[in-house]
Amino acid sequence: MNTTIMLFLIQDGITNGAIYALLGLALVLVFAVTRVILIPQGEFVTYGALTYASLSAGQMPGTARLAVAMGAVAFFLDLMAARRSLGFRLVARAVAVNVVLPAIVLALAMWSAAHRAGVAVNIALSLAIVAAVGVFLYRIAFQPLAHTSVLVLLIASVGCHLAMQGLGLLFFGAEGQRGPPIMDAAFSAGSLRFTGQSLSVYAITVAFIIGLWLLFGFTLYGKALRATAVNRLGARLAGIRTSLSGQIAFLLASLIGAISGILIVPITTLYYDTGFLIGLKGFIAAIIGGLMSYPLTAVAALLVGTVEAFSSFYASNFKEVIVFTLLIPVLLLRSLAAPAVEEEKD
Amino acid sequence: MSALLHLTDGHVAYGKVEAVRSVSLEIAGNEIVTIIGANGAGKTTLLNAIMGILPLKGRVSFAGGDLARFEIEDRVAAGLSLVPEHRELFATMNVEDNLELGAFRVPRAQAKTSFERVYTLFPRLKERRKQLAGTLSGGEQQMLAMGRALMGAPKLLMLDEPSLGLAPIIVADIFRTIGELRASGVSVLLVEQNAQAALKIADRAYVMELGEFILSGQASEVAANQRVAASYLGFTHEGESAI
Repeated sequence: MNTTIMLFLIQDGITNGAIYALLGLALVLVFAVTRVILIPQGEFVTYGALTYASLSAGQMPGTARLAVAMGAVAFFLDLMAARRSLGFRLVARAVAVNVVLPAIVLALAMWSAAHRAGVAVNIALSLAIVAAVGVFLYRIAFQPLAHTSVLVLLIASVGCHLAMQGLGLLFFGAEGQRGPPIMDAAFSAGSLRFTGQSLSVYAITVAFIIGLWLLFGFTLYGKALRATAVNRLGARLAGIRTSLSGQIAFLLASLIGAISGILIVPITTLYYDTGFLIGLKGFIAAIIGGLMSYPLTAVAALLVGTVEAFSSFYASNFKEVIVFTLLIPVLLLRSLAAPAVEEEKD
Repeated sequence: MSALLHLTDGHVAYGKVEAVRSVSLEIAGNEIVTIIGANGAGKTTLLNAIMGILPLKGRVSFAGGDLARFEIEDRVAAGLSLVPEHRELFATMNVEDNLELGAFRVPRAQAKTSFERVYTLFPRLKERRKQLAGTLSGGEQQMLAMGRALMGAPKLLMLDEPSLGLAPIIVADIFRTIGELRASGVSVLLVEQNAQAALKIADRAYVMELGEFILSGQASEVAANQRVAASYLGFTHEGESAI
């Protein structure tokens, strides 16, 4: 191996690592706020990527219809939950959020698919569709279980993953798809070549990390999310609805997943089930960060990406094996370092 | 004057064990009411049930509305606030953020006045406003917990053992503040093991034993009761024997 190849591998590792970092941060955020280990994170990636690719190819993505259907179920659940105190404002709000909003997105998606709208419009629509799916997923599957144990939430999470993967096959078929790049530009620095796509990966990752930092540090809703993560009972006693915090966490996670997918799909062909494997690598980073630490997760994600790049060079058959084997020493060290943790009750 | 909080025939159970039995309670506006009793009498359980943390059987109304279907968060918005025994602060966030979140459900403009009010009541918190809540001393944490509750502009503040584990000088400070709260129009429901201090400051008192109220009345009358004196105040009235 010479320096050029090493630099290539490192560059490749950092590009992938940046995506894993985004996904890992979303996992940590969702776990801290809702105690859900978000297995369907990978489906957000797939849905984002393939919705974007479909729209760009002038096809109507099934995810837009899924958002409308989930919205209808969420509307029904909201009405059931508030059946004793139904007022006009409450119903109007539920209709607006659960029915009107996804319907508008569906109409726009149909229009865009028919008229071949530009890259920016397609990205915005894909994000809106996946964000709606994410928020409704929390409302339908996790909010009714919010008081149960981590194990129950994990089982529900696995169930959501399986269902969403199956729906992905139904919507997008078994064929892989690619989407148009966000930026065509490319330039060289020495022997390294930077494509516009890899630069947008870095830019968007950094922008998201700064955005999250601003959100958590300086806005009331961001602080409320942190407070829910630090002390759930305390947050409720301050009047913060844990269901609202959960919805915001899922909104952010689905947005991050979809963005990651849209960033990857011009580089790699994505299939309906590719997202799961990508999500798992974010998950490894999150585990190395103890499902707690944001900076540690981001660093671990870069490590995972680099290890993956190097192992694909030396032993590409064992690429996934090597990456996932990283978990074993980490878990071993963590179990030695940390005393047994009792599950939080509430 | 109609009661601010009205609880009729309240029962709270952990599984099959009834921790609170057939309890009725009334608190008027501008009033300090205390519940005294031994460890394990059910005082904390009762407060948590009124707040909605534990399921309560019985009728409970607050400021004229039925609370039965209200979640904790909605009770907070309605003006009911609890400072729990373990304070439940946001330990990794600073004092100012903790207070700001206490005003999550009130309009932004009102939050500003609330900040001034809390900083006037507890000047210590203003000095420490950039310090993490988890690094405060026990007394300061109690002040912060009370401050956070007051940020939501409650009509009734429920305090669970505010003096627990604190130095006497800080306890005196906290009790002085409770008195000031009544003057500013907040009612207080105070649960205390320090019965002497509680009875001194309260208008009315309930005595709880094994999940039931065995005595209630004006605080001074309750303090004068020989059984209360013997069990909770640590002395007997002269010439009488404790029952």
